[in-house]
Amino acid sequence: MMAIRSCVAVALVAAGCAIELGCGTSQTAVTNVTNPVQFQAQPFQRPEACLPCHQRQFDELRQAVKAGYRNVSPLFNGLEAAGNLINGGLLRPVYSDSTIVLPDGTLLNTNMFSSPILTEPRQVQAGFCVTCHNADIEMNGENPHTREVPALSGLGTMFNPTIFRPLRDYAMLDSSGNQLIPPQIGEYPPAGAQPSLGAAGITCDFCHDQNGPNLNRSFQHDGFGNTSLYLNPSKEKVGPFLFPVGVKNNFHVASNDTNKIAFLRAGAFCNTCHDVRLPNLNLTSHEVNINTGGSKVNVFRLENLSTEWQIGPYNSTNNPFGKVVRCQDCHMSMFPYAESSSYQVGDMSVTSPTPAVFPTDYAAVPGVSTDQNYPLQKRPVVTHFFTGVDVPLLSATELQARLGSTYPDPYANSIDTHGLPVAIAVRRQDLLQAATRVSLAKSDTSVVAGQSFTVRVEAVSLTGHRFPAGFSQERTAYIQLNVTDANGFVLYQSGYVVDKPHPNTGESAPDGNLDDEDIEHVHAVVDPGHFASGAYTPGTTTNGGNNVVFELGPDDGPEQRVFEGRPEGLVLFRNELTHIFLPCPTTPTNPPCTTDLVGRTDAQGNPIHAQTAHFEETFNAALANSVDNFRSLQPLQPRTFDYQIQLPTQSELQALGVTLKGPLQVHVQVNFEHFPPLFLRYLAQTTGPGGPTGIGLGLVTEQSIDSLLKNIQDISESDTTVNLLP
Amino acid sequence: MRSKLRLLILFWLLSGVALAQYGPGVYTPGEFQTTNPYYLLPNPFYFEGRIDWNLLGITTPTNAWEYMERAIHYQDDLGDTQSAIADYETGLTFNSLQNGSCQIVTPATLVNGALPTTLNPAPCIFTLRLRLGYLEQQPNPAQAIQLFQEVTKIDPLKLGINSLIGETYVIEAQQTTDPVAQQQAYANAIQAYQAELALSPVTSQSIALTGDLANNAHVHWALAQIYQTLGQVSSAISELQLYLQATQWHSDVYPWRIPLANALIKTLQATLH
Repeated sequence: MMAIRSCVAVALVAAGCAIELGCGTSQTAVTNVTNPVQFQAQPFQRPEACLPCHQRQFDELRQAVKAGYRNVSPLFNGLEAAGNLINGGLLRPVYSDSTIVLPDGTLLNTNMFSSPILTEPRQVQAGFCVTCHNADIEMNGENPHTREVPALSGLGTMFNPTIFRPLRDYAMLDSSGNQLIPPQIGEYPPAGAQPSLGAAGITCDFCHDQNGPNLNRSFQHDGFGNTSLYLNPSKEKVGPFLFPVGVKNNFHVASNDTNKIAFLRAGAFCNTCHDVRLPNLNLTSHEVNINTGGSKVNVFRLENLSTEWQIGPYNSTNNPFGKVVRCQDCHMSMFPYAESSSYQVGDMSVTSPTPAVFPTDYAAVPGVSTDQNYPLQKRPVVTHFFTGVDVPLLSATELQARLGSTYPDPYANSIDTHGLPVAIAVRRQDLLQAATRVSLAKSDTSVVAGQSFTVRVEAVSLTGHRFPAGFSQERTAYIQLNVTDANGFVLYQSGYVVDKPHPNTGESAPDGNLDDEDIEHVHAVVDPGHFASGAYTPGTTTNGGNNVVFELGPDDGPEQRVFEGRPEGLVLFRNELTHIFLPCPTTPTNPPCTTDLVGRTDAQGNPIHAQTAHFEETFNAALANSVDNFRSLQPLQPRTFDYQIQLPTQSELQALGVTLKGPLQVHVQVNFEHFPPLFLRYLAQTTGPGGPTGIGLGLVTEQSIDSLLKNIQDISESDTTVNLLP
Repeated sequence: MRSKLRLLILFWLLSGVALAQYGPGVYTPGEFQTTNPYYLLPNPFYFEGRIDWNLLGITTPTNAWEYMERAIHYQDDLGDTQSAIADYETGLTFNSLQNGSCQIVTPATLVNGALPTTLNPAPCIFTLRLRLGYLEQQPNPAQAIQLFQEVTKIDPLKLGINSLIGETYVIEAQQTTDPVAQQQAYANAIQAYQAELALSPVTSQSIALTGDLANNAHVHWALAQIYQTLGQVSSAISELQLYLQATQWHSDVYPWRIPLANALIKTLQATLH
């Protein structure tokens, strides 16, 4: 008997290896689940329930954005709050006991996750953020006794911003395990508070309870986006390989459903959440929900990461590694700490970390996890770091106050048993340093004094999707270029930042910090809105969101490069959320038309009205009605960006008292910000006491931006010299 | 040992059967993306600029937007300016205010106060005009100005367009040998630059929010140069001072212009006394 068991174990390890090495293709065929096998129901487990047998995975996952701090992040909470403050709370989930009636007389009692088919834009809005961040919490919420995030008591014009709480107010428990809501809205966690199930975000159970894609809930019936999957909280846990050893005390059973296993291992699993499509309410349609009954739901793309991967070279064998590289191969492997590979992309020679190299370890803790203490074999395993581009804007102290006293310091310098760095801050920096390469090899090699020359920066993304990706309209990657003479005299700079005051958030003088400064292509201040006594009115009139300051800066590259084709100024890889303002009818309407109000005044103080369709960058996704997702870098498609640079004339140099010394030094580097400071300042204001709530939600402040926002400089670089001819 | 081997082989066969279920001929998630009829369509106002040509899969352009995208590919990716100009020009014939093949979206476009589902003729595309205009700035400034002026009709609030017009009038002034035409071109340039400044005015509110006493540094720099050329010293000094205010917290891509502005102000002030 023992021999047979050993043999099966060997076979399992071998099979696991085989699947790990790519037998399970990323192009996993899936259909809606029919007649699923029913397993005994099991409530969603806290990750701590998995810890005794899966310590390594628990420790890794706790560092991950999605399962660690994200749901208590002031940014996520601020974004969700800002959207709600503008539209009257429509982004909060509703449940089956809702009595809200839609304009057509039907009940709004399903949310984005629980709607079988999304037939109403309001269903997409209901729980829009929570669904991807915490679909299990929405499922639990159908039972009022296990409901963590309550439905709001009033929506739209009935919304009351003064009693609106950030989501994280609901993410705490007292010592008895009961929900602990802080007495004051947005208050620091009371002493002894413990994290709720929802605080943990996408936990072990979310992924291992998946039951395949729910095509009916994806707008193109393709299993992409907006959490279009089935969750089945049961004792059946879907792991990555077949026939694992029995679990001690039958705490759970491992799924042997090959469809579910293959789905878990495929990019298709990630696709269910990593495309995010927003309802498009006030413009002609971009995309329509093609499912039966879905024709009223128009959407446009916010996050487009999965589509980018799906149509990109890494979802094929036409890439430097000659095989499909799945999401898991970079975000659940030893990447970027495995050995390097060298290859050619176009005319660029690249050396970068190799994907799909997995550590060897136990899948569970030997001696405690298996039935009858059956011995485990080491095998290639995935990691659960899910490294991304974020670090928390929370101090280590506050992280521990919200997520438990053992929550790790994001900046702690430690390595795990595989020799991999553990801290999320270290991992994100190393991941980003694997993302791009730049070259100056095509630049002019000489310039005549007083004339112009061209620096050519060739840039390539090595990521599986475009770069940046995800919330790519805020993720900010850009080129910093400096040209000096041999004495260090600065002749040209782009992608620079300047230390300056920020009166709108109370910083009255430069503070010596550059991480809280925006790049200089545009100067914008977003209207944070204000509390209005009397009835709440959805929209921008009192709730802000429009650009109250919007000016081109001295490094205006994005507009010039994209729309004018002009080889000057900032090269910005950030995608762009845009708001198309529509003119109003010439005859008065009831209620008065405000679609033409851009949010600013002219020199005389009169509101500026759009007389034609007007197009402008917006920083609030809730106000966007269009998006440009083509500013980011395509994977493995090198692009060359020209900078036409004019040297000062001889008379200008004389006036300056400068003599240039050659050769000119050209330095280029790619920098990364996870969020632009101006956007954080908007969140600070709109969720602050001066915003529509009138009391503040305790999320972002100038001080927290100053102390916690950490950008990554120089993720790739190149240097060259240019001869200066007389 | 042999039984173990048999078991192993049996398992491999079984797992092979299981994995083979995902072979060709079965619906594959994401397949839709490759032929998605929505994904790469322009937005309803053609307001985006560049979509990567290799993703579009267009063999032969058939409308203004497609010609524009191919032209952008020629210009940005291949450095082939002549082919780009040809395609921009062809694109314009499909999207022309003059022949009525495009429209500007105004209140008159609305039907019962709302935007109609289909806009026919299509909206006028500003990127097409801006890119062609930029390429024509030196060889044909008059045409460039006309194209830029059409953009100010399409979206009068769009920033940077009046600057382009001003810049092109300066080119026109520098190219002409007729003193009267030159003076007129400079006057037009000043007017255009001032129109640019009016779109993002410095107000008490903007000063309170940003601390900036001036903005649009490059517009002030350009105006200072024009006034210097015209011998209008006081105006030149004033614009240089505004340039310094605008760069106080923002520096410049050419940072040496900041000490140069200070030096010029001193030199110019000396000429006033």
